[in-house]
Amino acid sequence: MTTTLNKSEGKVLIKGNYAIANAAVIAGCQCYFGYPITPQSEIGEFMSGKMQELGRAYVSAESELGAINMTIGACSTGVKAMTSSSSCAISLMQEGISYACSDELPVVIVSVMRGGPGLGNIYPSQGDYEQAVIGGGNGDYRIIVLAPGTVQECVDLTYKTFYLAHKYRMPAMLLADGLLGQMMEPCLFGDYPYPEVDNSEWMLTGAKNRHRRVIRSYAPLAEDQCVFLNKLFNKYKVLEENEVMYDEYMVDDADIVVMSFGSMGRNVKSAVKACREKGLKVGAFRPLTLFPFPNRKIEELSHSAKKILVTEINMGQMLRDVRLAVNGRIPVEFLGKPVGSMIDIEDIVKKIESMIEV
Amino acid sequence: MATQVFKVPDIMIDGFKFGFCPGCDHGVAMRLVAECLDELNLQENTICASAIGCSVCIYDYINVDTIEAPHGRAIAEATGVKRAKPDKFVFTYQGDGDFASIGLAESMHAALRGEKISAICINNTNYGMTGGQLGPTTMVGQVTTTSPTGRNLEYYGYPMKIAEQFALCDGVAFSARVSLDTVPNIRKAKAAIKKAFEYQIKGLGFSFVEILSSCPTNWRMTPQKAHDRVRDEMMKVFVPGVYKDILESKQV
Amino acid sequence: MSHIVIDDKQCKACYLCIDECPKKLIKVSDKVNNLGARPVEFYDPNGECLGCAMCATRCPDLAIREVYRG
Repeated sequence: MTTTLNKSEGKVLIKGNYAIANAAVIAGCQCYFGYPITPQSEIGEFMSGKMQELGRAYVSAESELGAINMTIGACSTGVKAMTSSSSCAISLMQEGISYACSDELPVVIVSVMRGGPGLGNIYPSQGDYEQAVIGGGNGDYRIIVLAPGTVQECVDLTYKTFYLAHKYRMPAMLLADGLLGQMMEPCLFGDYPYPEVDNSEWMLTGAKNRHRRVIRSYAPLAEDQCVFLNKLFNKYKVLEENEVMYDEYMVDDADIVVMSFGSMGRNVKSAVKACREKGLKVGAFRPLTLFPFPNRKIEELSHSAKKILVTEINMGQMLRDVRLAVNGRIPVEFLGKPVGSMIDIEDIVKKIESMIEV
Repeated sequence: MATQVFKVPDIMIDGFKFGFCPGCDHGVAMRLVAECLDELNLQENTICASAIGCSVCIYDYINVDTIEAPHGRAIAEATGVKRAKPDKFVFTYQGDGDFASIGLAESMHAALRGEKISAICINNTNYGMTGGQLGPTTMVGQVTTTSPTGRNLEYYGYPMKIAEQFALCDGVAFSARVSLDTVPNIRKAKAAIKKAFEYQIKGLGFSFVEILSSCPTNWRMTPQKAHDRVRDEMMKVFVPGVYKDILESKQV
Repeated sequence: MSHIVIDDKQCKACYLCIDECPKKLIKVSDKVNNLGARPVEFYDPNGECLGCAMCATRCPDLAIREVYRG
């Protein structure tokens, strides 16, 4: 990337990865720590130049273990800090994510999904829904997960990721995929739209004119751990009450609601439009927050709709959360494939038509 | 009128009580760190990254802002802290397993980058907190709970000489190995820790002190015998000395 | 007069200090402390203590809290 973006008045045509990185810079990210992995390497490449130019911190970490823990260290001082990576390397960060939850630190992680398991490949995939939402770290914890579906949403939700991480003092992940990371779309940056969160009550600054602070996860007594986890899960409840976001399209009178997340929502919307042109009552629903998950809204839809179709570029991961929210009231069907380009609009339409015929 | 020549460092937490086994040198090492922080007047400006193992307890004893890192990641977290707040004094206090085994990549790359942090590493030739298993510094022939017939090279390979290895990293300003086996050596150890801290303050680069310590419980020895072992066995292999000091152009 | 102050509640009875004292002024107490250990005590009837602080420097538990010289 040769152009140096920062703020921009008008729309610019930009790759998803650069959009995420530039939005993080505008959001006030002071420190970036990362290790290269396709398909998100442009984020680190952009940051390496931009952070130096702005006198902020960039470290080319020795591994993702290093990167996530450097991010934790930086966040412990109250600054905005982030790391970014992809699938198999987000796996390496799971230990740090668990610690960051226990430390209650506003660590921002960008995950640009590729094919898996194992090394997999560098094609787009949504196979890390569960890695992001359920997580592979130890213990009971949740992290905030936001899933953009367009480059513009990459920008808007990067801002939101930083804001929510600091507002709730917990790790937050922007879950994009290789398609979004590599595609170019026009988008608008504007200014960081959220208020700055005051971290002065907990951040480490050196114990000057106050008692010292310890950010720790070690809780030698079981009772202490119970108190802490109850507090943590109360926080998650507040999130579920207040921060759920989703995108819906013509669901009010829909007999069939097609659900997806991230970039898959693009073809779903086109398929729904095509169905509507044929006079079929179909709507589209796409959670923007995967945690907190829009359970209540999906439950409502399960009363108004007759069937739900979940489409994902994986073998059915969000599917399970949708089924839990629907709780057996109406049939929930699945259309997916493990990796590669998005499912074709015609195939989605065909699937919808088959569901209506039955 | 008698003058006071020794006191509990001001930076120790009121009412603290070391939880280490009788005769364990962790208490001495932590006291030396505390004395250096006091003497350099660093209490209000310090952020410590604590490690996992017996060394984790440092935040129960020393009254500074602290972040507790996962096992092996103290250096990475210290790097994050220092990069976010370059004006803070940042140090880690780790065991040899934390610093040189599970955290070796983090430690060595911070040293190569010349991160302006100080690392204190306790070398007691085993994993102490988990009951004395073979670690990166377990000596050839040493019996541990996971080398029941002794560390033989065919089966376990060689121990690591940490201070020498880190002296080879260009970003390191100071790398020394000290011992706590005798009072004169304890005083030398303190001088080395203080120098390491001063080198960070001067912004010279990564500063490192490896401290040879006893682990009487896991070595199945009296505290007295344990110090004999430090002197007679450890110091012959892990030779104390300054392995790098960029101000004195000393390099291995 | 040179002397040391021992907090016998902190003493874990490793007895490293006993060997350090050049004047052999530290001995094992007859009492048992809160840790169930027989702590050390300072015994200097003839005022021989040098205030060298070797004992306190050696003590791994900061049980020897203060040393005075002179």
